[in-house]
Amino acid sequence: MASAVLSESQSSVYVVEVVGLSKAFGAIEALRGVDLTIAAGEVHGLVGANGAGKSTLVNCLAGVVQPDAGEIRLNGTPCRIRDARDATDRGLSFIHQELSLIPKFTALQNMAVGQWRRNRFGLVDWPALRQRANEIAQRLGFDFSADEPIEKLSMAQRWFVSIGRALMTDAQLVAMDEPTAALSSQDAERVFGVARELTGHGVAVLYISHRLEEVRSFCDRVTVLRDGAVAAALGRSPDLTALFRAITGAEMSAPTPHERTQQGEALLEGKRLRRYPAVRDASLEIHRGEVVGLAGLVGAGRTELARLLFGVERPDAGQILLDGAPVSFRGPHDAIKAGIALVPEERRSQGLLMKQSVAWNIGLPSWDQFVYDRAIPLINRRELREVARSIVQKLHIVAPSVDQSVSALSGGNQQKVVIAKWLVRRPRVLILDEPTRGVDVGARAGIYALIRSIAQDGVAVLLICSDFEELTMCDRVLIMVEGAVVGELVGADISEERMLQLCYASENAS
Amino acid sequence: MTQAGEPVAKAQEPRGGLIWSILGQYGTLIVLGGLFVTFSVAEPKAFPTSQNLLNVLNQVALQAIIAGGVTLVLVANEFDLSIGYQASFAGVIATGLIAFSGLPIPVAVCVAILVGAVIGLCNGLIVTKLGVNALIATLGTGTVVVGINYAYSQGQPIILPLNTEFTQLSLARLLGVPIAVWIMAFVLVALWALLNHTPLGQNMQAVGGNREAAGLAGVRVHRTIIYAFVITGMCAALTGVLLAARLGSGQITGGDGYLLNAFAAVFLGSAALRDGEFHILGTFIGVLTVGVGLNGISIMGAPIFINFVFSGALLIGAVALSTLARRYGPRARRGY
Repeated sequence: MASAVLSESQSSVYVVEVVGLSKAFGAIEALRGVDLTIAAGEVHGLVGANGAGKSTLVNCLAGVVQPDAGEIRLNGTPCRIRDARDATDRGLSFIHQELSLIPKFTALQNMAVGQWRRNRFGLVDWPALRQRANEIAQRLGFDFSADEPIEKLSMAQRWFVSIGRALMTDAQLVAMDEPTAALSSQDAERVFGVARELTGHGVAVLYISHRLEEVRSFCDRVTVLRDGAVAAALGRSPDLTALFRAITGAEMSAPTPHERTQQGEALLEGKRLRRYPAVRDASLEIHRGEVVGLAGLVGAGRTELARLLFGVERPDAGQILLDGAPVSFRGPHDAIKAGIALVPEERRSQGLLMKQSVAWNIGLPSWDQFVYDRAIPLINRRELREVARSIVQKLHIVAPSVDQSVSALSGGNQQKVVIAKWLVRRPRVLILDEPTRGVDVGARAGIYALIRSIAQDGVAVLLICSDFEELTMCDRVLIMVEGAVVGELVGADISEERMLQLCYASENAS
Repeated sequence: MTQAGEPVAKAQEPRGGLIWSILGQYGTLIVLGGLFVTFSVAEPKAFPTSQNLLNVLNQVALQAIIAGGVTLVLVANEFDLSIGYQASFAGVIATGLIAFSGLPIPVAVCVAILVGAVIGLCNGLIVTKLGVNALIATLGTGTVVVGINYAYSQGQPIILPLNTEFTQLSLARLLGVPIAVWIMAFVLVALWALLNHTPLGQNMQAVGGNREAAGLAGVRVHRTIIYAFVITGMCAALTGVLLAARLGSGQITGGDGYLLNAFAAVFLGSAALRDGEFHILGTFIGVLTVGVGLNGISIMGAPIFINFVFSGALLIGAVALSTLARRYGPRARRGY
């Protein structure tokens, strides 16, 4: 492990010191005794695969999550960060990927939100705010007027405003989560420039990114998290292979080119799909009876791709083909009619109506199958209950009765209800987005057995999952990086390490 | 990035949750019972007679139809402020078509209801396709309807000759029960069946419960909302026609007052039997509560201003009650 190298060693006190921080969510240990120090004037990189604990660590610093054990010291003083407001007051500023700016407000207004200076009449002191904002704008080299509304600014300019807002609060630490994910390399350079400007004034920057090349060239020090613990603490310009080994726990090997396996005619096909900003160039094929995994780092555009295939959004460019014929869905109802089903990412808010019963949720997409007569469309409750009962039995859903409201079921059983409602319609394509999220480990096996048996009935299954270990059950795994499908693993090649390799290797090749 | 598991369900039961949950489920019934007992004691000769109770039903019939209609829009989690103006306009149209154009009565009635459907369609299209907030959209269409109403009637009430067949809609009785009560019963049963036993009604509940989840399950959200507005418009128009029959004339502002009482009734109804959900039976109970209250007040000879104070206070009380019911209802306490 490389020793921590501090370029400006005179700043002996760290802005932030994290000592032995631990946090568990139920049985999942998100952080296990993490140590981390961030000095004034340094850019500290934070990297790690999905679920490595980056978000939890940042959330602890932001006061969003309270750690179970360990200590956070600010300028050498131990303290408890109570909530987000407290974090801001203590000079910690967080810029998330989906910038929390108000689109209709101007850059100036956005920078002033929450810190309205008042004049002696109790009114917002706009001149003072403007002066301060202008100073910051000048320091950061804004190339636009502070009076432009946010919605007219480019992504890079919005990042500048967010950084400017952090400076308005006299931040000592600015944490940036994936700032360059949505930026071109030129714009990314400009964000680096602005960040450098910050560190030049003694501000510490915590830089979270999947792009290893950027982390390598831009950060003074890098901390790598793996499975909730620090896997490596590296100095400036770490060796790329060392970085990769720390992230994945495996050796890096040259990525294999993306070769399509020939498997006869595809059932569902996406050809060069694009949808700004998340899906950039995604092509894929799914065949009858196979389970295709879609691996990618968080933010790779997998959910957005699934939504395109399900007709929730329409692609800007590219084609969706079903049985080789191009289709255009006006909405999910069209996709459903064509035999496509989606188990969405957020089970509680997107997959189920929590107040309604198990039977009701199962019937929702298929009322017309349960009416007595098309002319007088009254729903046959008895038949609905019977069908629900038989499918509940078949999928081993544990529920006291099909009239029970789904809110009373466990996470795993709720997820099975979401799947069950589609099975009633006998779909040809089943897309599952993070089906095991929030499901306990025992129930996960049940869900995967179910997915496998659905595929055996001839359904084409697309499985999105951020836990790569779970994707090893797939027949094929596609790798998605920054909105594009860049690789494929088949058979014995499917392993957690290979997936991670492709995610990072392609990330840095692009 | 971290699989954080489920958010921990808030298991703590609010203090006094049981009382609120009882109020949420039975509050309106308690109010109705209380009013009934109070008036029966205060006016034992005039209030609790079968004749007066039938009279109450007859009085609330029109209210029940319009409130039943607007229940659908509320179930779909939208709003309709144009129903009162729609009712006024329908009355004017129906009487106008009979008096000015000499159309047969059934045709005139059908055209008036069709106009209600068209206004509802406009409401639905504006709310879904243009994405205008329902409060604003229906306030706008309602105001436009007032304008058209003035243009059509030229600002004058349209008075029909006495004792036409049209007024029989209000005066006639079947098996001793006024026609309006029969119509109300028919409409409420139809709305109840629609909401609880048809795909359309279930989809309205789905859209109202969680619009995104409904859409992802294949429910055609816009279409469902538009249907709700159309049916609401038709119910409002029917109420307006029956009102015109009752008054023997088309009054330009005749139905405007139904707006407030309809919402009071629907919100009262949501605190009856089902914790905080809108449903047709509840709406009927709500309408009865308003009707019994106003009837009792007038029997006791209270001045007219009391009616307004009573209605307004009831509306606020009803909304508060249904909000509390939703917050503390037994389902809410199960943890979501």
